[in-house]
Amino acid sequence: MRNAFTPAVHLAVTLAWLIVALFMIFLYAPQELTMGEVQRIFYVHFSCAITALLGYCFVFLGSMTYLARRSRRADDFAHAAAEVGFVFCCAVLVTGPLWAKPAWGIWWTWDARLTSTFILWLLYIAYLMLRVYLVNPGRAEVLSAVVGIIGFVDAVIDYMAIRWWRTQHPQPVIGGGSGSGLDPRMWQTAFVTLGAFLCLYGYLVRQRMAVAETRRDLVALRRDIAA
Amino acid sequence: MVNTYLFLAYSLVWLIFVAYAWTLSRRQARLRRELDELKARVGRVDSPAKR
Repeated sequence: MRNAFTPAVHLAVTLAWLIVALFMIFLYAPQELTMGEVQRIFYVHFSCAITALLGYCFVFLGSMTYLARRSRRADDFAHAAAEVGFVFCCAVLVTGPLWAKPAWGIWWTWDARLTSTFILWLLYIAYLMLRVYLVNPGRAEVLSAVVGIIGFVDAVIDYMAIRWWRTQHPQPVIGGGSGSGLDPRMWQTAFVTLGAFLCLYGYLVRQRMAVAETRRDLVALRRDIAA
Repeated sequence: MVNTYLFLAYSLVWLIFVAYAWTLSRRQARLRRELDELKARVGRVDSPAKR
């Protein structure tokens, strides 16, 4: 049976979902009383942050599977998850300061949440640099898998930072204590936006894995010709 | 002034994703073209040998 969810269908669903999310962000969600319009950065910042964190969980899972089974597909998945996760992490580090400046009066502060997110970004870079600069067959895969597994500790710290410590960053709106939470329309908008970004993440990972597959075919054909 | 931040945040995010998607499609197109060229060359080399 052929897979009906082709990349073209996936892209169409992603774009439609993103349009709905944008409509909800700017026309459906109410304006926040204290911060006003600028609070709408929250929807894209929150969605990119959750996706970047989930991305590192996928890197961790792909790396574990690769080390356990030496599965080429698991390694491709971990590599794609890292590259796309890095893009989402960049989006978090761009939207964060642009929201912090009008809300807190500063672009950046080295509190636990912001610092652990910055470290997550550096870990993504470390993973990707290992893939680029280590050319020994198998060595780049193994070492980057080790970084993928060790770095997962930071992903957990990043997620828990605002629960474990008092930070400049707001307390969690998901699973926070009493008094946390959002207006129902804000919630709905946040979840629709998160869904759209996860769909985008899935599409980009899929495309990145297709690039890896084409590259492998090319290398195999070159090897055959040389032999 | 505040809306400038909102505008910048959304513009930069879309720019990041569009730029990445564009580089991905360029990489795939380049690799696919190289693969097709190589396959065509191998086909031309193989053909007389097979005869």
